[in-house]
Amino acid sequence: MNPCEFCIPFIILLTWIAAVYVIFAKKIMHAVIVTGFVSLIASVLFLLMKAPDVALTEASIGAGLTIAIFVFAIRKIEQKEGKDGKR
Amino acid sequence: MFNIIFFVLLGLGVLFCFLRLLLGPTIVDRAVALDTFSTVTSSILVFLALFFKRGIYLDVALVYAILAFVGSIVIARYIEKGI
Repeated sequence: MNPCEFCIPFIILLTWIAAVYVIFAKKIMHAVIVTGFVSLIASVLFLLMKAPDVALTEASIGAGLTIAIFVFAIRKIEQKEGKDGKR
Repeated sequence: MFNIIFFVLLGLGVLFCFLRLLLGPTIVDRAVALDTFSTVTSSILVFLALFFKRGIYLDVALVYAILAFVGSIVIARYIEKGI
């Protein structure tokens, strides 16, 4: 058993803890940042399972696009509601 | 032998970044933790490319590093109320 296959259950446990934290986060920006963490570590998990093309797609969409779109949407909502100090 | 040492050190880096990401009091701590985590993880991907001796893993590391930088920049612009 090589050490990479030995690492996979720990990485799955880490992803699970982060995903549960996303559900119970107090502020929405914390949830967005931890979502980026989950997406990044899922990319490593795909790569350890020997699927580098899926890992490439997950890294490009999850790391760059999802965080950017979420942050722009939160900023638009805050500007529309007019309450700026709550974050 | 050296592989085991590399794996333990990189695992400790991931673990401490994860703790700061979950326990950080402010949003700035979490953003810095995410940035540090992306750096550590791209080094993990390069090490896996060395370990499995496959060149395509280096492409994954390259795309990963570029786009994690974009995400970090977007979060930073949000914190300084720029966008």
